[in-house]
Amino acid sequence: MAEAPPIAPQLIERLLAAAMAKGGELAEVYLERTVATAVMLEERRIKSAQCGLTQGVGVRVVCGPKVGYAYSDDLEDFALFRAARTAAMVAQGRAEAAPVKVTRSPSPSYYRVAPPLSEVEVSRKAELVLRADRAAHASDRRVKQVIATWADQSKRIWVANTQGRFVGDAQDLCRLAVYAVAEGKGGERRSGFHGGGGRVPFTHFDSFTPEQVGQEAARQAVATLGAVEAEAGPTSVVLAPGWSGILLHEAVGHGLEADFIRKGTSLFAGKLGEKVASEKVTVIDDGTMAGSRGSINVDDEGNIGEWKVLIENGVLRGYMFDSLNAKLMGQRPTGSARRESFKFPTVPRMTNTYLAPGDDSPEDIVRSVRRGLYCAHFGGGQVDISNGNFVFEVSEAYEIDRGRLGRPVKGATLIGVGIDALKKVTMVGNDPTPDPGLGTCGKDGQNVPVGVGLPTVRIDGLTVGGTRVRRRKGR
Amino acid sequence: MDYRALAKRLLLRAKRRGARQAEAFVQVGRESSCRVRDGQIEELTQATAKGVGIRVIWRGRLGFAYSSDFEPSSLDAFVDRAVELARTAAPNPFNGLPTKEEAGRPAAVGGLFDREVAELPSEWKVRAALEMEKAGRAVDPRIRTFESLGAGDSVSEVYLASSEGLAGQYAGTSVYLYASPVASDGGQLQTSYWYDTKRFLGELEPPERVGSEAARRALRMLGARKVKSQRVPVVFEPLLAASFVGAVAAAANGDAVHKKSSFLASRLGQRLGGVWLTLVDDGTLPGGLGSAPFDGEGVAARRTTIIRGGVLEAFLYDTFTARKARARSTGNASRAYRSLPGIGTRNLFLEPGNRAPQDIIREVKNGFFVTAMLGQGANIVTGDYSRGANGLWIRDGELAEPVQEVTVAGNAIEMLDGIDAVGSDLEFRGSTAAPTLRFAELTVSGE
Repeated sequence: MAEAPPIAPQLIERLLAAAMAKGGELAEVYLERTVATAVMLEERRIKSAQCGLTQGVGVRVVCGPKVGYAYSDDLEDFALFRAARTAAMVAQGRAEAAPVKVTRSPSPSYYRVAPPLSEVEVSRKAELVLRADRAAHASDRRVKQVIATWADQSKRIWVANTQGRFVGDAQDLCRLAVYAVAEGKGGERRSGFHGGGGRVPFTHFDSFTPEQVGQEAARQAVATLGAVEAEAGPTSVVLAPGWSGILLHEAVGHGLEADFIRKGTSLFAGKLGEKVASEKVTVIDDGTMAGSRGSINVDDEGNIGEWKVLIENGVLRGYMFDSLNAKLMGQRPTGSARRESFKFPTVPRMTNTYLAPGDDSPEDIVRSVRRGLYCAHFGGGQVDISNGNFVFEVSEAYEIDRGRLGRPVKGATLIGVGIDALKKVTMVGNDPTPDPGLGTCGKDGQNVPVGVGLPTVRIDGLTVGGTRVRRRKGR
Repeated sequence: MDYRALAKRLLLRAKRRGARQAEAFVQVGRESSCRVRDGQIEELTQATAKGVGIRVIWRGRLGFAYSSDFEPSSLDAFVDRAVELARTAAPNPFNGLPTKEEAGRPAAVGGLFDREVAELPSEWKVRAALEMEKAGRAVDPRIRTFESLGAGDSVSEVYLASSEGLAGQYAGTSVYLYASPVASDGGQLQTSYWYDTKRFLGELEPPERVGSEAARRALRMLGARKVKSQRVPVVFEPLLAASFVGAVAAAANGDAVHKKSSFLASRLGQRLGGVWLTLVDDGTLPGGLGSAPFDGEGVAARRTTIIRGGVLEAFLYDTFTARKARARSTGNASRAYRSLPGIGTRNLFLEPGNRAPQDIIREVKNGFFVTAMLGQGANIVTGDYSRGANGLWIRDGELAEPVQEVTVAGNAIEMLDGIDAVGSDLEFRGSTAAPTLRFAELTVSGE
């Protein structure tokens, strides 16, 4: 990356030395400059266009398991040194003020966005949003309301530490999204949501067109009109490929992050080498996928993004490490340290997490289910790391009746315990599909972009939360 | 730095660039926090932050830009950018900043700023966090560890000025404690949390109480299991009741109502539930975490009764939506410097009833007492409500075995109508609060 950091390398070196003034093992300076643009459409016209700049520095001092962190959005010398001195306070000792030398090293290139999204004319972004809106309305007369949004950011980061590392990365990111509401008989209203993007150049939307996005959101809204209430209780569930991968993200991904493992708060702690899932389950976290939303050339500690196996044929193989937890656990960092912005220290996180494909055709998977639920599209999900309970809202679902898709179902929620649900995976499709670039993951109050992916999957005995209790039709 | 002068200077620049109206919203703050683990500091954070958002109206179009870089030439460029961005937006006759008359006089709200919090030393936070941890562990040896545990505080200042003659400022403090312990009996791990957050240090729950309450809540979940799917009376603890009324208030968002994408849209003036239901949003509550003299666009804070005695009485508005819907702004424009105003609640609460929570439980023969939930809750468009739930089963009026891995589902409209008991236990722990609530019958999905 050619761009120069907002402060000179010599100043970064002096800051690092100041941060080590009271001892400690490692000091790190993280610099960020982000330009973000957004366009919003509602009621068939562009409501607003906006742009913003945030920049700042975060200084971290590590002293055993202790972390001192300070940040400032002021890049004047006095503010920088104040941050360094504040972070240093976590260490109680007194060290010799040793000079620090950092050397710029190159980063890999899993994505290259040229020109940067911040340099693309805002009118072209507005045009995408208008096209998506037109397509959503044109696809069905029952579409009554559309909200379409564009959001991009051109984020530049630089990380330097007292081990001499100094790397930078250009992390551009964008997303076009459409939310559509359809109205059916008797004023019934249903909504649909679709979108996508990633660390991709603006030309991505020549092939992933706004028309596709608008039509898909409209299709979901219309398809779920007249949906019947979900039947409560355990059943066989078939997950559609792609975005359904958020189930994997919640059900197992978070539980494999090293901070939860080290603190013993995850139910996957101490299970390395053990069978934790059906042998059909292989889970990968991959920070190197080309152009994907969760990809990182370097993580927010400056470690290179990696491809790593978490679960292989049902056996737990590895966790996701940042350098703090890796050191305390005698392991190696896996390029998993991430942060939302300079306002946060890093925590171990997922990048792009997906389930490796199996042998079954998607048609056979649906055909194999006598009675169950086909989950076409999900809303949000959440997990409790300790007891493993996870939930998902299924925003588009269909009954499966003797191997065929039946009536649409509304108000279904899936609930399970991660480790049990994975043991109940009985079929895995041969249709691996990444999500279109929708996901944002929240942890410790920090949001970061992530990718997910999944082939068609059958899980038996997953609990469907609904309003209708079995064998008691109507209310 | 004189932020008032800064705001005024930005307005002038916007006007010179051709904006008909302009508004500057400046936020300045500092925060600090401490996390502890095993009797030692785990993380100390201290920070200062600031930023300004500039909203302009140019030929009926809306432009917006924000920046955290207060270097004068950089700020000027961002004002220019806001005006330029307005060209991309479509004209809308409802665009426009609130006039002085629409805004009204800023409310006199007391109890926003506590000098003691503003001057709280790091040592206090470290000590409070250590006390919480110790108190939590002392409850029972099965408290193995903590997912997280800490204390923190913040000071924030807001300055607002607009070309329509609005100018104001206020400062506030907040201080918080939180503990999330993990209990284990060798088999299951169970977690829970407890916290408190207040504007004044003197009102904060003592650290030992936060620690031991969190521990008690995690312990009682050990051995939790699924139950059979069934329809039963369901009692929500205050924290979950608060999140339920939050979902109802989200449906009272004037924008969603105007677009008919709220399940409350066509129900103004209708009875939604028993006379014991009164839902209020009050931006003027003394000491409230959601209180401020004016909202995100300078309109005076006020009190709005959304549901009075079971009848839906009002929706919440900002200026833009109010003009569109031919209503008045209720002072509910909510924002940070990085965002345009949107509609949000200030201090939202359900008025307490006169039933002791124990009595509400005692009347249930077979039912579910919900103490934690996962997932998002109600769909604002349809009112469909379905969330993962943990809690305790109620047998013959007593809290019995712990339950997990189930969902609770219903429709918000039916749920409101089905509330048959409201507790007397209203307390604020944040800006949304409700007492214990009982729903006559909801679907619990499990085995």
